[in-house]
Amino acid sequence: MSAPGQALGALVAYRGATGGRVNLTLGIAAFVLFIAVWYLIVFTGLVTERFLPYPGVVIGTMAQLLVTESFLNDVWISVARVWGAFLLSVVAAVPIGIWMSSYRIVGALVEPIVDFIRYLPVPALVPLLIIWFGIGEASKVAVLWMGTFFQLVLLIADDAKRIPREFVETGYTLGAKPRQITRSIVLPSMLPTMVDNLRITLGWCWTWIIVAEIVAANSGIGHYIWSMRRFLKTPEVMAGILVVGIIGLLTDQAVRIAHRRLFRYL
Amino acid sequence: MGAFVQIQDVFKEFETEGKGAAPIPVIDGVSMEIREGEFVVYLGPSGCGKTTLMRIVGGLETATTGDVLLGGERVTGPDRRKGMVFQAYTSFPWLTVLQNIKFGTKYRDDIGEPERNQIANHYLRLVGLEDFADFYVNRISGGMRQRVAIARTLAAAPDILLMDEPFGALDAQTRDFLQEQLLEICRAERKAVIFVTHDVEEAVFLADRVFMFSARPARVIEEIDVNGAIGPERTADTKETDAFFHLRNHVRDLMRDQARAIA
Repeated sequence: MSAPGQALGALVAYRGATGGRVNLTLGIAAFVLFIAVWYLIVFTGLVTERFLPYPGVVIGTMAQLLVTESFLNDVWISVARVWGAFLLSVVAAVPIGIWMSSYRIVGALVEPIVDFIRYLPVPALVPLLIIWFGIGEASKVAVLWMGTFFQLVLLIADDAKRIPREFVETGYTLGAKPRQITRSIVLPSMLPTMVDNLRITLGWCWTWIIVAEIVAANSGIGHYIWSMRRFLKTPEVMAGILVVGIIGLLTDQAVRIAHRRLFRYL
Repeated sequence: MGAFVQIQDVFKEFETEGKGAAPIPVIDGVSMEIREGEFVVYLGPSGCGKTTLMRIVGGLETATTGDVLLGGERVTGPDRRKGMVFQAYTSFPWLTVLQNIKFGTKYRDDIGEPERNQIANHYLRLVGLEDFADFYVNRISGGMRQRVAIARTLAAAPDILLMDEPFGALDAQTRDFLQEQLLEICRAERKAVIFVTHDVEEAVFLADRVFMFSARPARVIEEIDVNGAIGPERTADTKETDAFFHLRNHVRDLMRDQARAIA
């Protein structure tokens, strides 16, 4: 078989080997195809431009928005809310999660109630949280926190539980106390999977921030999208959505790169 | 030399889940004494309870009845005096070879930083891993990872070394090499060792004394004085001698009888 033929074979083989360059090409191709189909749908008049503008118009609107001060302000506010709430979640979830996995009594006490709360739909909590915290920053942070903490704490507890029992026993036989085992063995051991879970949780924050900002806010990307809807400014609405996606993608890639750098030993 | 480890009439039962389920007896009254510097091997069929007995000595499990004394003191829990090497790789992936070995000194309050480095380098050389000092352990072979684990355990300066089938996951050539290296290390260190295995040849080659255990629940069915039979000197050629051959066959027959009981 010729070289290109072989490369193609590997691509379609069940769980075949893939290369970074090929993957990148395919990833870009998918974007191009997506935009081409979108273009054709508008071009053929399948959907009127009023509801679905041309890709170029949306991208142009986005480019314009990204140099508009008021919009950048909205972006900044949303980013700050997301990171603020996310960090509050992490600060609470990491110690509690590790604690849950370290002591059976904590796990047995906390897990059922966490399991219950995390099944409460976050959008349904928004009205309640507004009653409690008003429509200021506190309620946004509360929505995000409710939407992430209860998931994250279980993920962290699981990460901590999954470290080999022999690691902990090694700690004991080297003379470490439980606290020292947690700090010097459990934490470094679970760190790679924990960072992965943090990355995924950060993604959820962007879902909840838009929900929160649509319901009650006078700033933020969610608020911008929602106010453009009132004037049926479809390109602006779509551009706003796109910006959220791009921020998500960039954050995700940044954390992945950091992960590779931090955990070279893997 | 007097008895260093005293195991006194140890019984162990495992609780089972479920209503009315009877506890499972695992160790059925074992007593023995181990001298300082002695290499003792626990041999027995898989799942017989020999590992559990060793873990009781290490303080990682408690006996249902009976006591273990170490240097005259009752064992109540795990600590630095009872070093343990596991079958599973326990060298830490986030540390290099040298850092892993140095970790063994981390919880010693009898020494300062310069000594920690000295000790780490000493054991790095003793297990022959100088060339791999800065390698992360995921980049080295399984045999090397076990040498790291042994060096780390020794760096903690334990009174006794407990080894739970440390070479169980390794290929035959690597295992032979590590057995010889382990004997050299033990000669240098003069520590009491309890080594658990179900490999007859390994047991006879390494041991001063072998304790042959029955299928579960574990009882000592024979105590084999290997030093008396083949002498304390062991080299690669030891395995070719008649004395070794006879002793190995005898132990193998004992092992077969026990294995048959559970097969």
